[in-house]
Amino acid sequence: MIVTNTETISGYTIRQTLGIVQGNTVRAKHAGRDIAASFKNLIGGELKGYTELLTESRREAMQRMLAQAQQLGANAVVNVRFSTSSITAGASELYVYGTAVIVSQQG
Amino acid sequence: MLELFIGLLFFMVPAVVFGMIFGRTIEKRHLRRLDEHDSKYRGFLVTQVKSFPDAVPGNQPPTLICSEVVIASDYLKNFFASWRNFFGGEVRSYSRMTERAKREVVARLVTEAEALGYNAICNVRIETAEIGNRRQKGAQAMSSCIGYATAYHCSANKG
Repeated sequence: MIVTNTETISGYTIRQTLGIVQGNTVRAKHAGRDIAASFKNLIGGELKGYTELLTESRREAMQRMLAQAQQLGANAVVNVRFSTSSITAGASELYVYGTAVIVSQQG
Repeated sequence: MLELFIGLLFFMVPAVVFGMIFGRTIEKRHLRRLDEHDSKYRGFLVTQVKSFPDAVPGNQPPTLICSEVVIASDYLKNFFASWRNFFGGEVRSYSRMTERAKREVVARLVTEAEALGYNAICNVRIETAEIGNRRQKGAQAMSSCIGYATAYHCSANKG
């Protein structure tokens, strides 16, 4: 599966557009991370726990999107966008969407 | 009232001093690391356009790469910010923090693309992420971003 956030894929031609595919996940950070983060806030620097949280959410959402694309019989997803929103304190949504297409290599 | 004041003093003063010592050191070190990274990858083409500038067919198709980073504030920054909040104007300590987060996100994209064997990225997008609710009272100040781009092969050698 080829995934890009551009509208076209260089070296490939889009043969058929199948439609939008999406994946989302709402994740909460656990209290341990909050405590660790509040300590980190004393000295500054990167909050690795929260970075990991974002990585996990992104992977999960992407997986759901790719599963949908596979079901449609696509071999590529183009124009992928991410968006995030916070739902309540301690829970945030990560939403990813793109267009499922069938591509073939040029030449 | 007095107890509250003393409590605040005993917490806030060491916290601000901590920020002054560690926060600044970490920030300086981080900025230096970003500068080193930038000079190391000077030949790497990073664009924000939707097309593929100077693309050549490579041995692997273009692919999406993502990175994320969350940078914490420290109490010295918070102190400056509350000061600024009173008088108005640019909160430089926070602008520096958000700048660090954005540069780090792009730096990670470049590193990942390079590790996968690509030599250019296009259509770089940086999205600010929300972790929890920052309008909540007592919420920590932090800068979190998600960056994503398409990695591909290009012919041009910028360097």
